[in-house]
Amino acid sequence: MEILQIKDLSFKYPEAEKKALDCVNLSVRKGDFVLLCGESGCGKTTLLRLLKKEIAPFGEKTGEIIYNSVFEESDKNETSHTGFVGQNPDEQIVTDKVWHELSFGLENMGVEKSRIRSRVGEMASFFGIHNWYHSNTDELSGGQKQLLNLASVMVMNPDILLLDEPTSQLDPIAASDFIATLHKLNRETGLTVILVEHRLEEVFPVADKVITMHDGRILFFDEPKKVCKLMKGGPLEAGLPSAVRIFNALCEEGECPLTVRDGRNFIENYADKASACSIGKHTLKGEKAIEVKNLWFRYEKNLPDVITDLDFGVTEGEIVSILGGNGSGKTTMLNLLAGLDKPYKGKIKLFGKNINNYKGASLYRRNIALLAQNPKLVFQKDRVDDDFSAALKTMEIPVSEHKDLIEKTVRRFGVEQLLHRHPYDLSGGEQQKCALCKLLLTEPKILLLDEPTKGFDAQSKQTLAKMLTELKADGKTIVIVTHDVEFAAQISDRCALFFDGKIISDGTPNSFFSGNTFYTTAASRISRGVFKDTVLCEEVIRCCKGENV
Amino acid sequence: MSAFAKLHPTVSLLYFASVMSVAMFVTNPVIGLISLFGSVLFCLLLTVRGKKIKEALFYIAVMVLVTVTNPLFSHNGVTPLFFINGNPVTAEAILYGADIALMIVSVMVWCKCFTAVMTSDKLQYLLGRIVPQISLILSMALRFVPMLRRQANKLTRTQKAMGMYSSDSYAERIRSSVSSISVLIGWSLENAVETGKAMRARGYGLKKRTHYSDYRFVTQDAVILIICAVLWGTVLFGMSRGVLDFSYYPQISAIPSEGLSVICYLAYGCISLLPFVLETEEIIRWKYYRSKI
Repeated sequence: MEILQIKDLSFKYPEAEKKALDCVNLSVRKGDFVLLCGESGCGKTTLLRLLKKEIAPFGEKTGEIIYNSVFEESDKNETSHTGFVGQNPDEQIVTDKVWHELSFGLENMGVEKSRIRSRVGEMASFFGIHNWYHSNTDELSGGQKQLLNLASVMVMNPDILLLDEPTSQLDPIAASDFIATLHKLNRETGLTVILVEHRLEEVFPVADKVITMHDGRILFFDEPKKVCKLMKGGPLEAGLPSAVRIFNALCEEGECPLTVRDGRNFIENYADKASACSIGKHTLKGEKAIEVKNLWFRYEKNLPDVITDLDFGVTEGEIVSILGGNGSGKTTMLNLLAGLDKPYKGKIKLFGKNINNYKGASLYRRNIALLAQNPKLVFQKDRVDDDFSAALKTMEIPVSEHKDLIEKTVRRFGVEQLLHRHPYDLSGGEQQKCALCKLLLTEPKILLLDEPTKGFDAQSKQTLAKMLTELKADGKTIVIVTHDVEFAAQISDRCALFFDGKIISDGTPNSFFSGNTFYTTAASRISRGVFKDTVLCEEVIRCCKGENV
Repeated sequence: MSAFAKLHPTVSLLYFASVMSVAMFVTNPVIGLISLFGSVLFCLLLTVRGKKIKEALFYIAVMVLVTVTNPLFSHNGVTPLFFINGNPVTAEAILYGADIALMIVSVMVWCKCFTAVMTSDKLQYLLGRIVPQISLILSMALRFVPMLRRQANKLTRTQKAMGMYSSDSYAERIRSSVSSISVLIGWSLENAVETGKAMRARGYGLKKRTHYSDYRFVTQDAVILIICAVLWGTVLFGMSRGVLDFSYYPQISAIPSEGLSVICYLAYGCISLLPFVLETEEIIRWKYYRSKI
């Protein structure tokens, strides 16, 4: 039975030239898990928001959205019929206590106390919230916050759940937990789920239907296995699950594998080519840009050590990625390297000079710069170009040279058209690009990046990878802290695993990732035992074709 | 959590109102001593071990200070003990100082118990009973303030790591802090818009809201509420009849000890010791329960 039908839906934002949605036709069956994907700006968020009346954007709308449901219970109405979970976990939390947040929606519906009690209790135990039921919402981790947002929508017992990139601000472990919870909800309660997502690796195998959008139109709407093949060569291909990408590069016909398991079975056919391939990447030799010796750090006297006896070095002109779980101290290490926090024991040397000997602001003048996780925090002015000038001003560069300098940097990274916009109006990827540009205006020799790919789709990741490779060619040293295994494997000269306050293993991406069983790329898990040390899809594909990498 | 803290917020509030009002407005050494005794017992049950000695020293210091200060400024009384700069220091003034000290310290200790028992949850609930909107606003504010503080901290660090605040000139530093405030305002507005949407998506403003809380008013709450009310009423009646009046100036009067006064002392003693009794009862019950296992 159809639960939702969209007929000839078109939508135009006020003062926009182009339609955001153009003649969208869609029907969703009850109980389906629908994945909606497309590059940024293709109208997927607009479509999703139009499905929920209370948060629908303003503009010219034509066409129809028809819901097919019966409001059998008295405390149910249009609002509780569709639930919505958005991107940023913090912005959706209204109250200060977890229990209050859970009951908020039902309070608004005017439900009586005893019913709220039973609904809230049931949901809290389903989602495993009972352990932190009395906590402040402020103390929760990102994953917990997003789970709370989901639970407080589910309390209202919706028939359709709409989610707009709910995992984009979460680390990969919390993200897969979240998607597993969605899958469980869909399977066990028959809830209809429409999910906008760019983390396709995990969602593809669990989705019933996949919609791909382009320029306000629906391109494909079919089962994942069929859509996979249709997406071959399209702009979204880079975001597809590794198994699919390998399959698409090698085969035209046959059933497309979606999971790592199926991918492994598929790749065994190519085992005879294994002897032909070899991987060659070497560690760089040269002067040390960063040298860290026996570092110890804790935030407060009574708290445990966050960094314990850390030894670490980065060669000039190298890209090093540091991976590790939440709270392992990765970000703390970056802060120490950037001189934001001081270790209580140990030494940090930048270009052979102790970090404490960089007086005043000299550390941040042409030496080191840190790009924090949230690019929004980087901007101070209402326009991107004003912001860039402000950065140059603090560098004590005369105003007459600003324009040339800005133009040079901006052209290099293709952000000219963003210069006159407000930083907050940019998309996540655009913000990150501009933030990086601003950072580069201060001409640092060492760049420290904290989670640079957070919330990125596959395309923005490729752009960033290109930018970083270019910077490396300029001789910049780059240290990246990230959860994004695939990105680290692609871009780094060296990867390191951070655990328990120190680095416990490091090596070239190939040796590092093929040594790990879980903390590794999907391509490595697929090709393990068949090919030696392959960690990227491209490497696996070339091995399968019998080429040298 | 202590047995007393588990009571319904209304009962807790009435309890503190009764015990503190009497302690503050009655000048009578017996009442003062009872109040101090009760509050200290209660406080000992609530506070964590280890900090007790330090706090006791602080309260003793306050008591001594107040006791000594009063006779330096007040020279009333008929029994001069000695003279400082030609001003008499009288026995009455010293004793009055001691009584005030008793009152101040016992009220301070009661307040400490109050903050331990009446968490922000409970206060919000009580406020919400009177004006439901305020409860929600308060809850949202309590959520927003720590978030804003954290955001401000992150902002400073981000900017600093890009070399923004590390300038040596003060003018430059002030300029950057001003601009960071404007950034924070922009951020909070953005955030508020999104939160507003999330609220509407969950049906805010559709109907008259109900007010949910985890608290339930059970028989025990009713019993304790009645006991409190009766005891407080007795003391208030005594106060209105003047049977608790006591004066230090010009001469120390006799401690009232007629029938009604004694009843009032007993009633106030009962109120003051109520949390202690509840707590001990629970401990005994637990011991007994465990011995059965």
